[in-house]
Amino acid sequence: MENLNLEIITLITGIILVLIGIWGLLTQKNLIKIVIGFTLFNTGIHIIMVSIGYVKNRTAPIIDQSVNINDVGNSVVDPVPQALVLTAIVIGLGVTALMLTYVLKMYQKRKSLEINNYNDLKW
Amino acid sequence: MEFKNIGYALLTIFIVLNYGLILQGVVRKIGARVGRRYGIRWYQPYIDIIKNYAKRSTITHGVMFYIAPVFRLTGGIGLLLFMPVIFGSDIFGNFSFAGDLVLVLYFQFFGILGMALGAAESGHPYSAIGISRGLSQVTSFELPLTLGVLAVAMQYQTLNITEIVAAQQGGFMNWTIITNPFAAIAMLIAFLGAMGRSPFDVVLAPQEIPIGPPTEFQSGLLGVLQLNRAIFPAAKLILFMNLLFGGATNWAELILKTFLIYMWPVFVGTVFPRFRVDQSIRWFLTVPLIIGIIAIILI
Amino acid sequence: MVGPIYIIAIALGTAFSLGFFKKANSNFSFAFMLFAMAFMTFISGQWLYAFLTQQQETIQIFTAGFKPPFSISLQMGLHESVFLSLINIIGLLAAIYLYDQLREKGVQMMMIFVLLFMGLNVVIMTRDIFNLFVFLEIASIATAGLIILDKSINATSAGFKYIIATAIISGILLIGIIAIYYFAGSLFINDIIKLNLIYVKGGAVAVFLVLIAIILELKPFPANGWALDVYEAAHPGIGAVISAASASAGIFVLAKILPIVGDPGYYIIGLIGIITFLGSNLLGLKQDKANRLLGYSSIGQIGLLLTIIGLTPYLGDKTLFIAFGVLISHALAKAGLFWLAGIINSEQIKGWAAIRRNPHLLVLMGTFIFALVGFPPFPSFFAKWELIMQLANNDKILWLALILIGSFIEGIYLFRWFGYAIKGENEDLPEFKIQWNKIIPVIVSALGLYAIGYYYSTLTGLAANLNYIPLLFIIFLYAIDFLPVYIKNTISIAGIGYYLYITFPDLEEFRLIFALIFLVGGIIILLAGYAKKGRRSGFYPLVMMMFAGLIGLIEANTTLEFFFAWEIMTIGSYFLIIRGKKSMTHALSYMLFSVGGAYLILAGFGLAHIGQSSYSLDILANVQSYAPIIFTLLAIGFMTKTASIGLHIWLPGAHAEAESDVSPMVSAILLKAGVFGLIVLMLKMGAQSFGSFDIYYALAWIGAITAVMGNMMAAFQEDAKRLLAYSSIGFLGYALFGLALMSHLGWLAAVSLSVVHFMFKTLLFLAIGGVVMRVKTKEMYKMGGLIKKMPFTFISVLMGIIVIAGVPPLTGFGGKWILYNAVLEKGWFLPAGAIFFAGIIAFLYCFRLIHAIFLGQLKDEHREVKEAPFWMLLPQYIILAVIMLFSAIPNSLLKPIGEAIMPYFSEGALEWQGNLAISNFGYWNGELIMYIVGGIFVVVFGWLWFMNRNAQEVKQFNIGYSAERPSLPETTHFAYNFFAPYKKALGFLVSPIISDFWEAVSEGIHAIADKIRRIYDGNAQTYVLHIIAFIVIFYLIAFGGSYGI
Repeated sequence: MENLNLEIITLITGIILVLIGIWGLLTQKNLIKIVIGFTLFNTGIHIIMVSIGYVKNRTAPIIDQSVNINDVGNSVVDPVPQALVLTAIVIGLGVTALMLTYVLKMYQKRKSLEINNYNDLKW
Repeated sequence: MEFKNIGYALLTIFIVLNYGLILQGVVRKIGARVGRRYGIRWYQPYIDIIKNYAKRSTITHGVMFYIAPVFRLTGGIGLLLFMPVIFGSDIFGNFSFAGDLVLVLYFQFFGILGMALGAAESGHPYSAIGISRGLSQVTSFELPLTLGVLAVAMQYQTLNITEIVAAQQGGFMNWTIITNPFAAIAMLIAFLGAMGRSPFDVVLAPQEIPIGPPTEFQSGLLGVLQLNRAIFPAAKLILFMNLLFGGATNWAELILKTFLIYMWPVFVGTVFPRFRVDQSIRWFLTVPLIIGIIAIILI
Repeated sequence: MVGPIYIIAIALGTAFSLGFFKKANSNFSFAFMLFAMAFMTFISGQWLYAFLTQQQETIQIFTAGFKPPFSISLQMGLHESVFLSLINIIGLLAAIYLYDQLREKGVQMMMIFVLLFMGLNVVIMTRDIFNLFVFLEIASIATAGLIILDKSINATSAGFKYIIATAIISGILLIGIIAIYYFAGSLFINDIIKLNLIYVKGGAVAVFLVLIAIILELKPFPANGWALDVYEAAHPGIGAVISAASASAGIFVLAKILPIVGDPGYYIIGLIGIITFLGSNLLGLKQDKANRLLGYSSIGQIGLLLTIIGLTPYLGDKTLFIAFGVLISHALAKAGLFWLAGIINSEQIKGWAAIRRNPHLLVLMGTFIFALVGFPPFPSFFAKWELIMQLANNDKILWLALILIGSFIEGIYLFRWFGYAIKGENEDLPEFKIQWNKIIPVIVSALGLYAIGYYYSTLTGLAANLNYIPLLFIIFLYAIDFLPVYIKNTISIAGIGYYLYITFPDLEEFRLIFALIFLVGGIIILLAGYAKKGRRSGFYPLVMMMFAGLIGLIEANTTLEFFFAWEIMTIGSYFLIIRGKKSMTHALSYMLFSVGGAYLILAGFGLAHIGQSSYSLDILANVQSYAPIIFTLLAIGFMTKTASIGLHIWLPGAHAEAESDVSPMVSAILLKAGVFGLIVLMLKMGAQSFGSFDIYYALAWIGAITAVMGNMMAAFQEDAKRLLAYSSIGFLGYALFGLALMSHLGWLAAVSLSVVHFMFKTLLFLAIGGVVMRVKTKEMYKMGGLIKKMPFTFISVLMGIIVIAGVPPLTGFGGKWILYNAVLEKGWFLPAGAIFFAGIIAFLYCFRLIHAIFLGQLKDEHREVKEAPFWMLLPQYIILAVIMLFSAIPNSLLKPIGEAIMPYFSEGALEWQGNLAISNFGYWNGELIMYIVGGIFVVVFGWLWFMNRNAQEVKQFNIGYSAERPSLPETTHFAYNFFAPYKKALGFLVSPIISDFWEAVSEGIHAIADKIRRIYDGNAQTYVLHIIAFIVIFYLIAFGGSYGI
């Protein structure tokens, strides 16, 4: 169990979430479920990002009592991935919202959430 | 070129014309006798010509129609005069200094095309059908003929007819027919087509398309055509004699040789029935063509 | 100078301020947005100008006052400025174009629009890899937002597919970026490059993910169904932005991250590029919807750009020149076509026939199509030229071949589409309105293409000598197109005449001979143009374009000039051909054979250039390697123009359907361009063989078979102009045969036959054109007996056919005689036999032509027919006079030609004694023959006239006809299927094997395309699957094979 530390767990969780998301994207026929698949995929990626930035036995990159002010460099995890993940989450939110808008528009026009009903354009 | 050349040329034409007319009459006479008929008088062609010129009424269908016989006869005379008729004779060399074998080969068509144009102007469908057949057939025997001519020209390394004849002097073993048999055979088969006798006489085909192209011609116009019918075959005989049979050094030799050469299409014509045009085209493009190709390959 | 950072500031500021505007103020807000776009364009253009003219140094901009990696840095260099300018100009034009839509949808849409371009701008400038991701996302979210502009369900569902696909791709990108950060510890691209991550374990995977994600953003085949749907369904204004602006940005991003990948990336990118280029164009073949077709073409062009990037190691410092040329042409042309699509508003490409309600739109469309295919004078032409030269230089023959094949396939569908636009049925199609705001962007991008094309040609150095004067003359003629025919005709004739006058002293040998055929011929045929009434809109610029190309060929000293002129000529002749009736399919096949032939020529020039620094045509004379292949490529290329057997199927229809004075131009003159090409080729390259197999012997056979087949086909035609067209094929067979003999006499025959062919074919096409004009049909059996109605035309045709037949005494015989001698000298008797056989077959069609039209029975409906107009007859009689001169004095024609040949082939030349020509084998005196034949003719005629001068002319039906009197000319005129027995005997020889072959090839390719495109089943999930499979497959290729990253 020595190897099974937090870093690995989050990484594996992220990867599993990504795979579940892709699975959902590919197999679900309901538009909403497809969007959920995407959000899982996205969340998985965010978790992977965080896990990559994590350094063992260090704390969050917030300067408070638990951090030695003189040794910030060695006591907190890398703040950059954390900053990046915030941006990524925002973007993911935007994308998800846009997807849902599209789903809404499609439903308004055709009263169906079945993805196979939207195959008019092809070849 | 001097003026006396023109005189000699007229003399040549005169001799060949008479020879051609008599040959026509004689061959028909022989043919009739072979068939156990009495046949025409040997001088019947003369009578026909005189009759045609003596007719009082003449009709024409237009300018081309009127000058077609002129084209035809010009073609015949020209063909004759562009060849050396008697080997070694300046007098009967005529205008052969103007062009070589290629000229002679292509000048044949001058009359044919001119005639075709005039006959077509008559508007008679039989004329048009006859021309269609005639041209089709010409194209097909031209191929073995060309191959044969190329082989002969290559054999003698010249296109000059006089030189070709000169090379064949000194006995019949030097004749092209002996020295270059495949080329000669190809050309002689083509010659059958060129003479237009049976089995290749569907062009005139009296029973189907009453004599074909000349259908509408009568009186003086037909007379001119008849003159050509005497001269043109004689000219072709002389050409083949020159190319394949060593030419002739005097008129007697010429008459003998051409008469014998003429017997070749006559015999074949007597034996074989008429081909349809598509049959004769196919035939010319098989056996004679192959012989021609062999002649070319063997050079 | 305004700093690049202001681009972002302005865009952001505008987007935020737009939010304060009310919907009622839409005009004002639109103006506000337009101003912002214009200012962004101005900033980028200002930098571009500085980089191009003032040796401006590349600058780095650090945000927030820190240096990277602690801040995001932007870079502004030459390349950035080119891309920014291109993208912003397209953005500005797109905004103008979308005026109505943006106003209708209100400020939100304008915000999104500005944000999209902000995203694209930052994507180009940023040097921070995460920042890159963010702004790519902004751009794609904005794009998805703009797709909704079109309210249809199709646009919405396409948008959904788009957003799903891009979301997956950006997820992959994100993983890659974070992984790179993990290994590199920096997001600053310059730092990452230094680390050579691909040699770090695991780093390679990170780099791969970023690379593949960026490539996927560029919609590689076959993982691109989502993009195709968007192209099809989105508003064309948006399609233009995605195709031109977003794709350009994507290409730049790829180029930016490429150094991270390093050398191994080139292979993957090149591979994906060529697959995309070929695959996408192949599938485009079956496409009949205009917007989707544009989508396929866009993706194809991006594939070409990927290929070019992938080939960077071989293209060296020319890479940028090539890539920019292709990219700029693609962006402007594709945007222009999308915008045009919005104006025409027709889903089906067949519906584009509506476009010619406004011919100027047709000119614009033509500009874009030709730019896409890579014709001069557009940048893509020079780029393609350079690309092929460099590939050949590096011995990348396979790449070269694949690129040309892909371009060719693209040409097929683009020209088919263009054909529908020019010639398709447009009776029932709806009218369309042209709004100012929609047409301005189109015009600007077309003008941009011309301007950049000209600028580009100056960059090559080599192209500095290109002669643009004839092209300016063409523009001038386009400008005065509103004037009546006789003025433009006079100006055109004067133009050609003046050009001949100024160039004449510099021409010699073959150049002189062919210049005379092209230019004097052009003047003579143009004379017939006076017979036309009205304006003849658009005709003169096209004619002059063909002549500009022809004269360019004559003047060319370098391979580039030659190819440039060849292509210009092709454009001009294509348009001339497609002007004819029912000529859509013929013009297409002409174009395809021309483009295919041109590519072979290009490949030949490229291979010839191997190992040589010069581009002079003389490089052909000392080719270093592949000599027989180069010769074959070029010879086949030129033979597409001479319409040799197998490559001839475009000709009959094209020539037959052309206008009466265009037929002689394309038949009598244009085909000679191919002969000229062959002459240049043979003179430079000399004898060539594959091992012991003599290529010239094969050419001789091709010539012979072409002659036989061409003439035989001619004999079986019912259509007079088709008959003449096939006759041209046959005659050029003789010319090819003569050239292949590679001897003095062979060339004398070939060149003199070319001159003679020019004369009689002009004569006959004009004469028959006059007849067709009067009797309103081309079917010969519907005519008959016209000799009495059109005697002058009859005389021309008569003389023409005597020349064709080669019967003495006219000048055609000279050619036959020389050919006989040449053959005896060379000894190629079997093909020669076929050549002479063909000569006799010519009698068949000659006779048929004159019989069926002029002789026989006059039809009732033609009893009032008049002689052809004077201006049609004049050129014919000028030519007749020359024919008679050449016939009577043959050495007036043959001697100069002989002298031109002398420097190259001196052995076996003819000896002239006056007009007596003496060869090694025989002799021929054309003048004397003329006199003798004339003399005999006169004597015989005199005799006949003396005997029969009072012949009575009878009426038409007065013939002895089975004791009846026929009354119907239709049943009496024997003309239909005239050589029926001949067809029965030999018809099998002319069964359309070759056209069947090409048709089978074409159908086969289309069927394959149709099968493959079924992978795009319209389902977003399938598309995602394609993306994932694409990643997996290229992961395996990248890491599995010996080419592993």
